Amino acid sequence: MSAGEFPAVTDRVTQDGIDAYAEISGDFNPLHVDPQAAAASEFGGIIAHGPIALHAFFRAATTWLGSDALPPGSEVKVTYRAPTRPGDEVTCEVREQRSDSNGRTEVDAECVNQDETVVVSVKAVLTQP
Amino acid sequence: MSGTAGDTPALSNIAYDDLVVGERMGPYTESVSSDMAARLAGPIGEPQDVDAVPPAAYPILFLKALRRSMGGIPAGSVLAKQELEFRGVLAPGSDVSIVTWVGDKQVRRERPFVTIEFDIRDADDRQIVTGRKIIVWPTGPSEESA
Repeated sequence: MSAGEFPAVTDRVTQDGIDAYAEISGDFNPLHVDPQAAAASEFGGIIAHGPIALHAFFRAATTWLGSDALPPGSEVKVTYRAPTRPGDEVTCEVREQRSDSNGRTEVDAECVNQDETVVVSVKAVLTQP
Repeated sequence: MSGTAGDTPALSNIAYDDLVVGERMGPYTESVSSDMAARLAGPIGEPQDVDAVPPAAYPILFLKALRRSMGGIPAGSVLAKQELEFRGVLAPGSDVSIVTWVGDKQVRRERPFVTIEFDIRDADDRQIVTGRKIIVWPTGPSEESA
């Protein structure tokens, strides 16, 4: 497997998606769902739940693996670097990819927005299904 | 503490000084419905058929357990890091039990960091996912909570 085979997945962050995530997670923090409260916050407007910025990586990883789940032995370490907002387009870009003979692949990836701001950094180990 | 799913607040006012390292909370039972799994597999909220629970479900299970164990995180907290170790595969429509505990708290570069650990197991007590959130807490030692 080469670096080019790990797909670049882009997620468009929308208020509908944020609202859906709030419903699924039960996290109705006003920063995510209340435009007035969010506007009065240090962020100056709605920000998405943190894991929404990570979603493009998960989708890229499962697409690459051809599996709905990450197989046992896989690990994902995430550093949140910047908020995402409605209207952002978040793309998962692989920076480095190294496979060993045991079927483990180390992946360094970043999720970047349309301004090339890194919103999430990821270091992962992916095992084969 | 233990319990079943119910309405819990998203935000708490727990102070840094009140966090007890190592005290286990739970297990909390949560269901991962087929609908939830489907809505987290593709673009968020756009259902896709899945045979296994996608990885995006686990940060949500962390969050649900955190709300039930600590009433959520305080307003002004910043999620700095998140780590997940995948130990097993879960079928949609499964129940899981989740235990949480404060793994560590320390002030680094004048910022109070709190590590909250998670252990997610299936109905047969098989470990499915372990992991942790590292959160910059809004209050440090001997400060009043907001």
